[in-house]
Amino acid sequence: MAKRPISNVTLSNRKWALGYTIAGALLFLIYQFLLPWNGLPDGIYRGVYQWMPPAAVNESLVYVIMALGLNIVVGYAGLLDLGYVAFWAIGGYCAGWFMSEFFYFLNIHFFGSVGLDRPGIHINFWMVLIIGGFVCALFGVLIGAPTLRLKSDYLALVTLGFGEIIPQVFFNGENFFGFNISNGTKGIVIVDPIPVGVKNLGPFDFGWKLLIFILLAAVMVFISLRLRRGRLGRAWLAIREDELAASMMGVPLMRTKLASYAVGAFAGGLGGVAFATHVNGVYAERFNFAISIFLLAMVVLGGMGNVWGVILGAFVLSWVNGTGLVAFGKTFNSQFGTNIDFASFTFLLFGLVLILMMLFRREGFLPESRLKLVLNEDELDTASEAKKAKK
Amino acid sequence: MKKNPAKVAVIAAATAALSLILVSCGGGSGALVIASDLPKQGGSADQSASTNNAIKLLLKQMNNMAGTYEIEFREYDNSTAAKGSWDDAQCAKNAQEHVAAKDEVAVMGTYNSGCAKIIVPILNQDPDGPMIMVSNANTNPGLTKAWEPGEPDKYYPTGARNYWRVVTTDDNQGSAAAQFAKSLGVKKVYVLNDRQTYGQGVAQAFTTAAKALGLTILSDGPAGEGWDDKAPNYEALFTKIAALKPDMVYVGGIFDLNGGQLVKDKVKYLGDNNKVKFMMPDGFTGYPDFLALPEAAGAYLSFTGLSIDQFPTGGAAEKFQADYLAEYGVAPTSSFSVYGAAAAQAILDAISRSDGTRKGVYEAMKTTVIPADKSVVGTELKFDANGDILSKDITILIVKDGKETFQDKITIK
Repeated sequence: MAKRPISNVTLSNRKWALGYTIAGALLFLIYQFLLPWNGLPDGIYRGVYQWMPPAAVNESLVYVIMALGLNIVVGYAGLLDLGYVAFWAIGGYCAGWFMSEFFYFLNIHFFGSVGLDRPGIHINFWMVLIIGGFVCALFGVLIGAPTLRLKSDYLALVTLGFGEIIPQVFFNGENFFGFNISNGTKGIVIVDPIPVGVKNLGPFDFGWKLLIFILLAAVMVFISLRLRRGRLGRAWLAIREDELAASMMGVPLMRTKLASYAVGAFAGGLGGVAFATHVNGVYAERFNFAISIFLLAMVVLGGMGNVWGVILGAFVLSWVNGTGLVAFGKTFNSQFGTNIDFASFTFLLFGLVLILMMLFRREGFLPESRLKLVLNEDELDTASEAKKAKK
Repeated sequence: MKKNPAKVAVIAAATAALSLILVSCGGGSGALVIASDLPKQGGSADQSASTNNAIKLLLKQMNNMAGTYEIEFREYDNSTAAKGSWDDAQCAKNAQEHVAAKDEVAVMGTYNSGCAKIIVPILNQDPDGPMIMVSNANTNPGLTKAWEPGEPDKYYPTGARNYWRVVTTDDNQGSAAAQFAKSLGVKKVYVLNDRQTYGQGVAQAFTTAAKALGLTILSDGPAGEGWDDKAPNYEALFTKIAALKPDMVYVGGIFDLNGGQLVKDKVKYLGDNNKVKFMMPDGFTGYPDFLALPEAAGAYLSFTGLSIDQFPTGGAAEKFQADYLAEYGVAPTSSFSVYGAAAAQAILDAISRSDGTRKGVYEAMKTTVIPADKSVVGTELKFDANGDILSKDITILIVKDGKETFQDKITIK
């Protein structure tokens, strides 16, 4: 074969980085400098806090990181995962174990952000991120391995099982063969602050935390986009579209599937650690089945397989869930003098949106072009047959 | 190049967001705001609505004034639909918003102790603060006193104690229950817990206190044995317990966690609640489903603070009940709602004696006392240096004819 320049490393494929940087920088500037500015009109300040408070943006970004990870498993490799929350839990507990006073009988410090006299394990946030990512990747492989022979519904059931087992282990982890590994439902509270060289980020430095979360999401976007273009990504897509055909063409099924679980779980680890620093603690109650479904809805609604669609889906859903509907309700009620509890309609809204999407736009907000073709295959076929018949 | 749909969507979203922001510009009126921070979705929704109503009624009765300050009330929701209960991320977000809302001076809440553990440290580090929080329902001891390693100091990074509560803690409830068990003549007790923070806390306190009183605890472990809330029945569990011949089974936990089945199987395998006594904490109070069970008859319940029918008569407490009924047409869901109003009473008292700043309210709150005849719960609201309430009343109820009936009142010294 003649050697051609590798076509997927062109500038146009990196153009996203520019747009992403601009959007990220804009968000950072708004929340870091504009919002605390004294000259800002009071109305805008209240408006921002009502409609898009800094903590909500940060939370959404954590969801973005997770959804991007799930997108690799579900969107790229086509392996339905109903237990993704397990990785979030493992990542979260990595932060709980390595960045707090939880193991109060130990005194291990490694570039931590608290004084040396504090008991517990205190490892630097950036290292815990990597540890969390790799521990999750390891668990991804462990969980993935026994499910390799399963397909579709059966695979979904097994992942569902894992997604229930791991959080339950943490839930009851106060006495795990005599050891307290999770503090049960009391959770591990007060996680070390994030050190950024010059200082530790306190509870009100959301601007800087926002920047860090944007960076982490960027890492996941980069990984997603680059992998998709490469050999591994194309192998995932091949498996997604036809597993049998892919294996006939020489795609190593086991290795490829395990890789998707590992990469997807890695994102769960990053997100879990980030989330723990966001809420300043780890609570077992968070890791329930509903959150797995919520993440899956983000991927499906946004556009399975398309990174930008998934980001949009994650932002929209987490915003509606946490802030949007309540803020809308407040405005609506004060405008019309009503007293309707809008937050209680969240499920109705979600259900309605999902039904409407499935009826009219199965491929999601921003669909992946390839998936759109697959989903509309029948219609295209009938259309072309009709054309033929006309001729 | 064809138009990128992503860009169009982003621009559309940005425009929409901006227009919403501009629409929602509302000016401040100069009033001081107290906020409530409660789970308004999921299982606790009714309870939270009733609590907010009680506070609104209280404010209405005071003409929205505390001393010379005009007061506004703002409700926050710390639950989300996706979780169906309190949400840790929502607690973190609310905490930031309390601090950012410049007109807010105090927070009434939270319902869940876990949520308080997220919010209190953030309010504590408020640059204009500390900002105070007074809870009507947190019973986890670690928030105010040495309980687990690092508690409670880790919740107060600046050292200022900006947290108070108007209900007493789980450990007191457990020890009151142990005292009551002894007074019944019970000798041997088997302890169960629901494996959650609250249930384990109560069960552990009960176990410790009962041992100190000389009772025999038949179960192993510091908090007894955990029951599996997903089990279809508890035949194995109670058959095992029956072999040990206890005089009483103590259950630390909440009714929601398959408590109905547990109660049925207790009576089925151990006999009725006269033969083998049966006792639970306030995690079983206020549930009509529990009271409707024929097997619940004769069971004892303990309750932190006073149950509504035990509020002293003749004073502000009785009047508040009547006013609530007149205003909303129903009685408060449980006394936690009224304790919410009591917490607000303490906050308003602190505001009236302050200079209207968060710091001022914090300083004033330290010396807040609401005398018994003015308090909406009928007992004196006075706090120790940790922020815990001094009157440690525990009510013991008995289930009789499908109703919670007063049995005894125990005051912890």
